[in-house]
Amino acid sequence: MKQNNSRLQAVRDAVNRVDLNSFRFWLQLAAFALFVYGGYFAIDLGSRLPLFSCAYNDEGRAAICYLLPLQHQLSQPWPRLFSIASITVITGFLTFVLWFIFLNKGWCGYVCPLGTIQDWITALRRRLGIRYSRYSQSQFAQLTRVKYLLLALMILIPLGIGGGFFSHDMSPPFCLICPARMVLPMFTGDVSQFTIDFSSKTAMIMTAVGISITGLFLVGAFVKKRFFCFFCPMSALHYLISKPALLKLKKDGNKCTRCGDCYRVCDMEIKEIADDVKTVNIMADDCIMCLKCVASCPEEGALKATFAGIPILESTEAGFIKRINKGCSDGK
Amino acid sequence: MENESPKIIPIQPAPYSRSRQAGESQNVLDHIVDDFQDNPASMQYFYDLFRRVYCHGDALQHEGMLVGTTCIQAPEELIYAFGATPMRLCNGSYHYDQRGADFMPAKSCSLVKATLGMLSSETVIPKIGKPDLIVNPTTCDQKKKASAMIEGMGYSVYDLEVPSVKESEASRVYWQRSVRQLAGRLQELTGRKLTRKSLKQAMSKTTRAQAAFRALHNFRRQSPSLILGKDAFLVTNAYFFDDIGRWTTAVEKLNEELAQRAKAGFKAVQSKAPRVLFTGSPPIFPNLKLPLLIEESGGVVVTDETCSSNRMLYDMTAVDEWRVNDMVDSLADKYLKPCTCPIFTRNDDRKRRLLDLVSDFNVDGVVYQAFAGCQVYEMEYRSVAEEFNRAGIPLLYVETDYSTDDKGQLSTRIEAFLESMKNRKKQRA
Repeated sequence: MKQNNSRLQAVRDAVNRVDLNSFRFWLQLAAFALFVYGGYFAIDLGSRLPLFSCAYNDEGRAAICYLLPLQHQLSQPWPRLFSIASITVITGFLTFVLWFIFLNKGWCGYVCPLGTIQDWITALRRRLGIRYSRYSQSQFAQLTRVKYLLLALMILIPLGIGGGFFSHDMSPPFCLICPARMVLPMFTGDVSQFTIDFSSKTAMIMTAVGISITGLFLVGAFVKKRFFCFFCPMSALHYLISKPALLKLKKDGNKCTRCGDCYRVCDMEIKEIADDVKTVNIMADDCIMCLKCVASCPEEGALKATFAGIPILESTEAGFIKRINKGCSDGK
Repeated sequence: MENESPKIIPIQPAPYSRSRQAGESQNVLDHIVDDFQDNPASMQYFYDLFRRVYCHGDALQHEGMLVGTTCIQAPEELIYAFGATPMRLCNGSYHYDQRGADFMPAKSCSLVKATLGMLSSETVIPKIGKPDLIVNPTTCDQKKKASAMIEGMGYSVYDLEVPSVKESEASRVYWQRSVRQLAGRLQELTGRKLTRKSLKQAMSKTTRAQAAFRALHNFRRQSPSLILGKDAFLVTNAYFFDDIGRWTTAVEKLNEELAQRAKAGFKAVQSKAPRVLFTGSPPIFPNLKLPLLIEESGGVVVTDETCSSNRMLYDMTAVDEWRVNDMVDSLADKYLKPCTCPIFTRNDDRKRRLLDLVSDFNVDGVVYQAFAGCQVYEMEYRSVAEEFNRAGIPLLYVETDYSTDDKGQLSTRIEAFLESMKNRKKQRA
């Protein structure tokens, strides 16, 4: 028993010393390959996934982002929606929740192809030696609300379509303006989404907005880490159902010196991660659970990621020192 | 003949080593070395270092230009990155304290007076030579006002602007800009450019030193203690002026010895010795009066929250993107955010840090040193005392200065304090 414990501890120590950045890079790459090209290998994980595995990437996709079926379901004519079809909406949502609770927002930081692309754009910028920009805190406080607004619109507009208030050309509203619709099919050689649909005025406006947002996405991700994730309605939806999630980000405020190292490396500029010493479940609504904060915390056990209550990655002094030494000696 | 001319013996100034000032250091060092048993063998490096520098007045060598700093708030990584050597000028000598009294009002902090006294004297000990620049962070009022006085002594001084609030975004941005401006001034001074490579090299030097310090810090958690606090203070004091590479190697050696001690079940003190957390105004050699009094009376200083030791070396820098811009900002953050100096408006972090040290180091009681005239520490005493009161941890507040006149009285108070802690321990057992 004791030997088992010490072996477990040895495994834990090794994990806590992991080079998180490169681990994450490879995992993201694998997930990207799965969700963008898995379709060619007949992989189909369903259509209730809590990430942007875009349905418009017809051939390559291994699953479908839940936002598309959700909007479709909600835009059914009201008599149908409010009778028998409501069951499919509910079962759909429950399947989505089941997928989600496994990884919590880890879906964003490790699996979502659109997030991965942004990280690649960031890596490109870094290689070019260009500095990133940050929001001021007041900007941040305003911008962080946008995703809830988008989420509300994403639900209300389809309902309006089903009720006959809006044109069907607006459906599915969020997908039409989502950069994933254009960016992800590109990776399988499909650029057909990069068009403006002139068939009707509504379609024209929606697709034009979509193209502009995609342009903004590419430029934004170049100057700002994880630019799009601030506005992502999926992220807002995640947060609303994150309570029962199995993967959790926890903080022990007593061990925190508020040195701000975690805030420093946070792509989403979440200040509470450093300053809040009371909250135990420290995952904020903008968090993408990349766990870089855990890796950059020098205080033993101040931050940790747990899965179903079992710690899987913990901040340690040895891990911190190892990573910082690697940073200091890399690419001289 | 020529040799008939009368022999004149010129009056030579007495060598430094025979001066009263050297005697002050000599006495303290002898006390540290000779009056305690079982000093770690690897402490010899530090004993010799202090003997050479403080007792014999040997000159200190340094690489590149010399940049004096008057506070831990001056980012030393930047100074190293420009090929210069930082040297912390905060001084602990009573001789200089008296000398510096000319510059400051009667009720002023001994540390600031001693630093002024040192800089104004012809023989600056440690013998570092004249700094090419003195970086003076605008922290407490006395250090702020010292700036112009130091300039008046013929030094070139740079005021590094430190905000007095550390939580707000405005202060963070202001401070990051301050640090970048310091980089600009250093570039002007040295004629070098700040490059990614040089900053990385500087950071790996300090990281190695900090890692060694943290290892030492961790060994001190052990109960009964493996090493006395007086030695630990001497080690961190040496960081002020010693070559950083040599210092780190010496600390790593000390750590190896402590690891062996731990394995062998060695005890540097009796098992019942009360474990003391030291906080407040920093003990700087030769003014190790209070830690020494605690340890002569059978207590042991197991950790501290002072800017001559823990606060100076504990907190480490994390960098996300290893480019000059991000590294400089990261360094700025590290020098501001975790700092528990009482010059800031709020002291929640200091209180939390103290409580965390108490529980992590199995502390029995706290000694709070405030230099007479160090208003910020004096003012923070109340809130810290309330916090400890609530937590049920005994606290001894000592207002003192660099003179040794109050030694007898202090020794009585400390003995009584330690005695009461022993009784508490017994009752709990």
